[in-house]
Amino acid sequence: MSGTGSGEERKVSALRELPPAIEPARDLWPQIEARINAERSTAPAAQSRPRAVPPRWLAAAAVVASVAVGVWIGRSLLPAARSGSGVESTISASRATAAGAPTALDVAYVPDPRYERDRAALMRSLQARLAALPPPARAKVMASLAAIHRAKEDLENALGKDPGNALLQELLVNTYQDEMRVLTDVHEAGDAGRGI
Amino acid sequence: MTQAQAGDTRIDWEAALVQRACSGDTRAFERLYREHAGRVYGLCLRMTRDAHLAEDCTQETFINAWRALPRFETRSSLSTWLHRIAVNVSLAKRRKASPVEPSREDEAGGGGALEWTLETPVEVQEIEAAIGALPDGARDALVLHALYGYSHLEAARMLGVAEGTCKAQLHRARKLLRERLNVEVG
Repeated sequence: MSGTGSGEERKVSALRELPPAIEPARDLWPQIEARINAERSTAPAAQSRPRAVPPRWLAAAAVVASVAVGVWIGRSLLPAARSGSGVESTISASRATAAGAPTALDVAYVPDPRYERDRAALMRSLQARLAALPPPARAKVMASLAAIHRAKEDLENALGKDPGNALLQELLVNTYQDEMRVLTDVHEAGDAGRGI
Repeated sequence: MTQAQAGDTRIDWEAALVQRACSGDTRAFERLYREHAGRVYGLCLRMTRDAHLAEDCTQETFINAWRALPRFETRSSLSTWLHRIAVNVSLAKRRKASPVEPSREDEAGGGGALEWTLETPVEVQEIEAAIGALPDGARDALVLHALYGYSHLEAARMLGVAEGTCKAQLHRARKLLRERLNVEVG
C-alpha cells in the first residue's frame, strides 16, 4: 500500500496500538437494567443469590427468623414492666454492671413476668425433654440453642457499644423469641422428636 | 503507590463490586458494566462487524453475566470471563445472522462496521478495515491474540477450536493482512 518505510512503520505501530475498547454509540445500560429487573420481577427466588454466606451469619439469619412470644409481647403489652416495676429479668441480671448500675440494655429490655415464668418452666423441663429425644433431634436442638446463644451474645456486645441501634435491638428481641420457639418445640415434641 | 499496589486495589475494588452485584445490587453491576463495556463492545464489534449486532451481543453478554455471576470465581479475571461470554454470544449471533460480506467501503479500506471520528488516524482506519475484511476464523484469532493479548491456548478455548487451528488461523490472518497492507504484522 503505502510504499514508504515510515508509512509501514506507522501501520505496524497502529496495529499494535489499536485500542481494544470501543465505546458503543449509545448507552446500552438502560436496556440491560430493564431486562435484569424484568427477570427479577418474574423470578424473585432465583435472584436471591445465596452465596458463600458464613455459617455464623446463617445462624444469625435463622435466629432472626420469627416467632411471636416473650419479650416483644412484654414490651408492647405491658408497659408497666418497663417502668421499673421491680420485675427482674434474666437479661437485666446478666447485663448488670459491676457497680450494680443498669446498662442501656437493662433499660431497653425488661421482659414481662409471663414470659419470664414460661421461659423458666421450659428451661426446667428442658434437660428431661432432651434426654427423652432421639440423638439426632437432641443434637439439632442443642445446635440451635447454641447458635441462638452465640447470636444473643454478639448482639448484646454490639448493643453495649451502640445502645441506640434500633436494628440491633430488634434482632435481639428476635433471638429471645426464637429461643422460646425452640424451647416450646422441645416441650411439645413427643419422645420420637416429631416436629424438631 | 506502585503499579502492583494499584492493580491489587483495583482487583479488590472489582471483587467487592462483584460480591455486591451477586447479592442483587444492580448499581454495583452497573459500575462493572461501565468499567468493561468498551472492551466487550470492541470485541463483539470486531467479531460481528455489525454495530447493531455488536450492541445486541454486548447487552446479551452482560445479561448472561448477571445471571451467571454467582458462579464466577472472584480469583479469576472478570475481564477474561466477560470476554469468554462475549465470544460465545458473538459466535452464536453470527451463526444466526446472515453472513456479512465485506462492503465496498470495506474493500476500499475506508469504513465498514467501525465508525470513525475525525480524530481516528488514517492508519487505524485502514488497519481496522483490513481486519474487518478477514475471514471470520482468521479475524477471531487475530483479534483475541493480537488485540486482546490472549495466548493461543486461551484464544482457542474461547473460540472452541484446537490450539493448532487457532495458530493456523492466526498465520492466515497475518498473511492476508501482510498482502493487503503490504507490511509485516505482529
